[in-house]
This record gives sequence, structure tokens and C-alpha cells, in this order.
Amino acid sequence: MYDASVFVLLFFVAASIVLYVVLGGADYGAGIIELLPIRNSEIRRKQREIVNRAMGPVWEANHMWLVIIVVILFMGFPVIFQNVMVSLHIPIVAVLIGIVARGSVFTFRHYEVELTPTRAKAYTISFGLSSLWTSFWLGVTAGSLFRGLISTQSADFYTLYVAPWFGLFPLSLGFFTTSIFSFLAAIFLVGESQDIEMKKYFVARAWKTNLFVIGTGAVVFLSASIEGYELMNNFFKNPLAVLAFILANISFFVLWFKLQKRRSFYTRLIAAAQVSFILIGWFAMHWPNALKLDGIYLSFFNSTAPEPVLNQLIIALLLGSCFIFPSLFFLIRTFKMEKKES
Amino acid sequence: MTELEAARYSMAFSLGFHIIFAAIGMTMPFFMSIAHYKYLKTKNSEYLDLTKMWMKGVAVLFAVGAVSGTVLSFELGLLWPGFMKYAGPIIGMPFSWEGTAFFLEAVAIGLFLYGWDRMHPWVHWAAGLVVGVSGFASGIFVVAANSWMNSPQGFEIVDGVITSVDPIKAMFNPAWLHQSMHMQVAALQAVGFGVAGIHAYFLLKARKTEINKKAFIIAMLIGSGSSLVQPLIGHFAAQRVAVLQPAKLAAMEGHYETSTRAPLYIGGIPNDEKEVMEYGIPIPGALSFLAFNDIDAEVIGLDQFPKEERPPTAVVHISFQIMVMIGSLLALVSTLFFYFLFIKKNIPSLFYKLAIVTSPLGFIAIEAGWITTEVGRQPWIIYEFMKVGEALTPVAGMQYHFFLFLFLYLGLGFLTFKLLKRMVNHYV
Ligand code: HDD
Ligand code: HEM
Ligand code: HEM
Repeated sequence: MYDASVFVLLFFVAASIVLYVVLGGADYGAGIIELLPIRNSEIRRKQREIVNRAMGPVWEANHMWLVIIVVILFMGFPVIFQNVMVSLHIPIVAVLIGIVARGSVFTFRHYEVELTPTRAKAYTISFGLSSLWTSFWLGVTAGSLFRGLISTQSADFYTLYVAPWFGLFPLSLGFFTTSIFSFLAAIFLVGESQDIEMKKYFVARAWKTNLFVIGTGAVVFLSASIEGYELMNNFFKNPLAVLAFILANISFFVLWFKLQKRRSFYTRLIAAAQVSFILIGWFAMHWPNALKLDGIYLSFFNSTAPEPVLNQLIIALLLGSCFIFPSLFFLIRTFKMEKKES
Repeated sequence: MTELEAARYSMAFSLGFHIIFAAIGMTMPFFMSIAHYKYLKTKNSEYLDLTKMWMKGVAVLFAVGAVSGTVLSFELGLLWPGFMKYAGPIIGMPFSWEGTAFFLEAVAIGLFLYGWDRMHPWVHWAAGLVVGVSGFASGIFVVAANSWMNSPQGFEIVDGVITSVDPIKAMFNPAWLHQSMHMQVAALQAVGFGVAGIHAYFLLKARKTEINKKAFIIAMLIGSGSSLVQPLIGHFAAQRVAVLQPAKLAAMEGHYETSTRAPLYIGGIPNDEKEVMEYGIPIPGALSFLAFNDIDAEVIGLDQFPKEERPPTAVVHISFQIMVMIGSLLALVSTLFFYFLFIKKNIPSLFYKLAIVTSPLGFIAIEAGWITTEVGRQPWIIYEFMKVGEALTPVAGMQYHFFLFLFLYLGLGFLTFKLLKRMVNHYV
């Protein structure tokens, strides 16, 4: 009974992470893409309008997955929550600053009544920089969890709060995250644009960001091996992780084939699946651990709240899902599916 | 500034910032729904303009509320990990409901803001109403989490380990009802008067008179209605505090010495050194009566608590007085409003001037009320279970955290204010 409760909760955590990375990630990526240089100011304006229209109705909902993850962690797995919040204080504060800046600047730009060229530029640059910044630090935070440098047994500020995340691997995972978010955004935006010129433009962006994904992905593996972090080893020991990796790569090829035809629905689905595979590989590789603390893996199963709490949380999540998923579906149907008619 | 002080100021500032936007986000959707309903019923396009005007402001304020709320849910752990380790499982319940409510709210606001012409008008109207209802519900849930800190129950601690947890019992703790009622009514009141003031200003300038008049009436009706019930709820709250947290009540009233027929002070400055109230006007027996409905009841004073377990009296007393003064004043202004609206059937321009002056008062009262509640709980983070010091994060350098968010929020507040000013000038 107890194990089953933990499984259900972990499913919710994993699902929320996947949804946050795919949906929220694309929102961050949109900001990053707007930061890339464009010579043609007409395209820049159109791009801004497409991003406004695509993100406007959904960004707040996409963003809620993060809050759900936090709530599940502190109610269900308080020990993990506590340790992460203490040891990774600095990168998490960096993420929060980014979240504050990005959400508000995006909305300000959208509702600005006197959008002078200077103002538009200032908004777009801050929106882009804060999106880049936030996704980078999200990646750094994730990259610190299993590196084995999170320690509670020291008196030294650097060892306790800086060393866990300040290293090649977390930083390169930060860059990988920014590239994968922009790649996702480029793919999603192909489907959001109505005219062929913009579609072509976003396809070109998708190619370019794809190169970044491959490049930074290689750097992630490289830096892991330089750091002596057993990423490769763990990875190939786990069949599910390998399978997810293979699927992620296969879907690349399918994606490019579909992208040639600019079939937006399938390309979106495949890009989302691909990112989900990467995440599933990541979960599988570390299952059932949440982080490595003082050199020892801390398993989700050993750090739960008392059982009645878990059950109450599950009830809340299930009931909540009955409201959230239908309304979310209605939202997506209203704004994302009727484009074909127009 | 010590580490502990810096963390407390950080928390206070983040919450104090968030509550302004939260109060607006919880209540403005209802204002819009009323105007929108009027439009759908009467097809008078002025109501449509009004709805859209309010909607644009809400979209901006809502975003600031959402991002500052996200910061808060992390800050609980970033600043108070010792607290969250124990309290997380116990008060996670209201937070998980709050999360659900926010989710619905976020979806509904997307539908409402961008859904014009994309769905049946009444479905669209309902989406707007859902924004309000779920925002209101989420407000009740968060306040339930806070009220648990004031009157913890629903768990047992054996040798420092939490054993049996009952999240439902924890959520519906004894302070839950008065705190949530009082907060939700406060939000209606603050936003009602706040909005009315802005429209009064433009009415006096004779700009878009018809729309501004309608807006003024809707906002004032909500603000005045809630202002008339608020003193009753506040009185109820004080009676609950007298039972649940006698030290807080004593600090609110500057009541040092346990006594029967305890006096109520109007004004005055508590002097913690000499343990007396200075410059206040005492009304004998009034405190006993307010707290227990009996002028001869015994009211526990601060002398019953060791010095290190007393809240800072002056802060609590003064902020409480500010709240009560504003509460009484707004109730008076509301009575005037109903008199002019229903009996005189004409609102004189002097009243519009008054409305401009009272416009920010509700928000000041909200801040003052929260300072009363939160500082009045000190030194406890969980009343009589855990002190703030034990909950503090070991991470050094909280001063940096404080100044970082201070400047971030001051900057954000400034930009929001400037943008809203441009928007109001453009649309109203
Ligand atoms: C528009 C805002 C507003 C107004 C006019 C009032 N209050 Fe208030 N008060 C609040 C806004 C508020 C608040 C910000 O919403 C608080 C803080 C925590 C809470 O639950 O409500 C609060 C707390 C609070 C508490 C402490 C509750 C606790 O700690 O458990 C008491 C005893 C009162 N109030 C009493 C009153 C009285 C007697 C008023 C007379 C008119 C009054 N309030 C007007
Ligand atoms: C939004 C309205 C709120 C405001 C304006 C507010 C205000 C404050 C203030 C002024 C303090 C500092 C007290 C001191 O240290 O002297 C504080 C502390 C704190 N508040 Fe609130 N509060 C609000 C709601 C909440 C809610 C809903 C929670 C939910 C759990 C909460 C949790 C805390 C915690 C954990 C602390 C730090 C510990 C402490 O100082 O006691 N607050 N708040
Ligand atoms: C510790 C205290 C608090 C935490 C952790 C917290 C958390 C949050 C979070 C995560 C959001 C973002 C939701 C979204 O993205 O849509 C939010 C927004 C909101 N919060 Fe808070 N909150 C706290 C205190 C309060 C209080 C005291 C109230 C009111 C009584 C309140 C009312 C709201 C409302 C109505 C929103 C919707 C957004 C808006 O209207 O601007 N919150 N809060």
C-alpha cells in the first residue's frame, strides 16, 4: 500500500516535470529565439506577434506545473525538498529572479499601450535574456542533483552552497537546456505561423537550434566524463535509459522528414515525445533516487511524509486532475486546434 | 541586520508585495463579471468597454501576482527549511488545493482574456467567473495554511518526530474561519475602494463620464457592502485571538498587566521597558467587553509571558490601530455612500473627492492587518511549537537575499505602476 502511494506520487512528479519542460520549456525557448539576431525588421515584428498570440493564453497555465512539483515535494517528500532548498539555494534564487522578470516583461510588452520602437526593443531583449537566464539555471539545478557534491558536512560556504552546482557538468547541462528549449519553441512556432514566409523562417530556426542541441548534448557527455561523474556508465547499465535514448534519436529523423513537409501537428508531437524520452531516460537512470547527498543516494522511498499524508495528497491530486485536465484540454482546443479553419 | 532578521524581512516583504496583487486577482474578476453580465443582458456597449478596460489591467496585475506567488512557494523552503520539513506534510493539504485552484484560475484567465469571439458568449462569461471563484477559493486555502501557524493542530510530536498527521484537521484549524473570512472581505473592500477612487478621479475630470459612473457604482457597491460587515468580522477575529493567542491580543492592545475590567486604549505608544502604555486614552472595561462580551472578564496581559516569548508590542499595537481606524473610517464612508445613492439619489462631487482620498486605505489596512497577525505571532513560527530561529536556513548571507528581492520588487513595482498609469490614461 505504502509503496503504491509513492509510485503514484512519483508518477505525478514525473508527469509534471515532463509537462513543465515541454510546455513551459517552449515558452522559455520562444524568448530565446526572439533574442537571435534578425536583419529584417518586418520578420521581427511578425515573430513578436506570433509569440504573443501563441504564449498569451497558455503561459500562466504552463507555468503552474512548476508550482505543482514544488507542492508535491514539500508535502510528500519534505526531506528532499529541504535539502534541495538549502544546498541549491543559489541556483534556485537565480531561477526565481528569472521567472519574475520573464513573466512580467512578457505581459508588459503584450499590454503596452505606447509600444515605441525603443520600448519594444527593450522589452524583447529583457524577455529574451530572462528566458535564457532562467532556462540556464533550471538546467544547472537539475545537473547538480546527482553529481555527488551536495554535502551538509562542512563549515565552508563554498563547499556547502557553491561547489554542488559550480562545475562543468551542471553548467553544460544549463546550456543544453537552453538549446533544447529553443529547439522546442522553434518547432512549436512553425505551427503557430499562418504565412509561409514565417513558417520557413521558423523551420530554419529549428535547424539552427537543432545544431545547438547536438553540440551542447555532446558537451554534456564530455563534461560528465571529464568530471568523472558516472553518467555514461549508469546510462548504459540501464536498459530503459538506453531505449529512451534510441527512441529520442530515431524521432529526430522522423521529425526532419515531417518538418520538410511542414506538418505542424506531427512535428510538435514528435518534438514533445523526443524531449519526454530524454527526460524518461534521465529518470530511469537515477530511479528511484532523488539526489545524492553526502555521497549517498537518497531514494524517494526513504524520504516520504507519513502515509496518511501521502494518501491525502494523492486524493487531492486525483480530484484536482478531474478539474485541471478537462479545463486544460478545453484551453488547448480553443486556442491551438482551430487554426486549420482560418 | 542579523541573518534571522534578514530572512524575516525578506519573507515579510515578499508577502507584503504579493498580497497587493493577490487581493486584486481574487476580486477584480467579479467586478468584470458584473460589468460583462450587464453587457450581455443589456447590450449596452459601455459595459463592454468597461469590462475590457478592467480586463487589461487585471491581465497585467495578475501576471505580477503569479510570478511573485511562485517566488513565495519556493521561499518557504529557501528561507525556512526547518519549518517546512515539519510543516510541509501538515499544511501541504491547503497548498495542494490552492495549487489546483490556481491552475483552474490560470486556465480560465487564458480563456477569458483571449477567448472573445472564440466561444459562446455565456461560456466566455462563465470563464471569467471561474477566474474569480477559483482565485477566491485559493485565497481561502492559503490563509488556512497561515492560520495553522497561528493555531496548529492535527499532528503529534513524539521525541521531535511527527507521528500521526491529520491534514484535514490541520487545515480546518480553529483560526481558519475568522482569518479567511476577514481576509476575503478585506480584499473586496480594498479593491472596491481602490477602483472607485480611480474612476472618481476621471469623473471629476469629466472624462468618459458614463463609463466611469458605471464603474464607480459597481466598485463602490462592492467596497461599501464589504466595509459594513468587516468591523463585525474583525470583532469576531479579535475574540478568537483572545482565546487562541492571548499574547497576540495583549500586544495588539498594549495590555501589559493581567486584569479584570481591562481598558481599551485609543492611540497610545506601548513602552516595553516600563511596561506601560503612554499617551493613550483608556476606556475602562472596553477591552474585556470586546474580547469576552463582559466588562468584568479577565484579560491575560503580557506579564503572563516570559520576556523572550513576547511579540514586539509597539509594532503590533500600532499596526492594529491603523487597521481598526481605517476599518471604522471606511464603514463611515460606506454609510454615506448608501445614503447618497439610495436616499438622496445623487452623489455630490465632494463625495468623489472623498473617494479619491480613501482609495489606497483598504490596501494599507491589509498590510497593517497582516503585520498584526504575523508579528503578533513572534517569536513563534508555529505557535508554541517552533520558534522562527529554529526554522531558519543555514545558508549564510540572507542580507543579500533580502536586498536582491527588495530591489527586484521595487523595480517591478515601479514598472508596473508606470505601465498601469499609461494604460489608464489611454483607456479610461
Ligand atoms: C481592508 C482591510 C481590513 C480592515 C478594514 C480591517 N482588517 Fe483586520 N485584518 C485584515 C484586514 C483588515 C487582514 C489583512 O486581512 C488580516 C491579517 C490576517 C488576517 O487573517 O486578516 C487582519 C487581521 C485581524 C486580526 C488578527 C487575526 C488573527 O491574527 O488571527 C484582528 C483581531 C482584526 N484583523 C480585527 C479587525 C477589526 C476589529 C477591524 C475593525 C474594523 C478590522 N480588523 C478591519
Ligand atoms: C500575503 C499576506 C501575508 C503577509 C502580508 C504576511 C506578512 C508577514 C510578515 C510581516 C512577517 C514577518 C513577521 C516577523 O518576522 O516579525 C511574516 C512572516 C512569515 N509568514 Fe506571513 N504574511 C502573509 C501571509 C502568509 C501566509 C499565507 C503564509 C503561509 C504559510 C505565511 C507564512 C509566513 C512565514 C513562514 C513567515 C516567517 C516566520 C515568521 O517570521 O514568523 N504568511 N509574514
Ligand atoms: C505563503 C504564502 C503564499 C504562497 C506560497 C502563494 C503562492 C502563490 C502562487 C504559486 C501563485 C501563482 C499562481 C499562478 O501562476 O496563477 C499565487 C498567486 C496568487 N495568490 Fe498567492 N501565495 C501566498 C499567499 C497568498 C495570500 C495570503 C493570498 C490571498 C489571501 C494569495 C492569493 C493569491 C491569488 C488570488 C493569486 C492569483 C494570481 C493573482 O491574482 O495575481 N496568495 N500565489
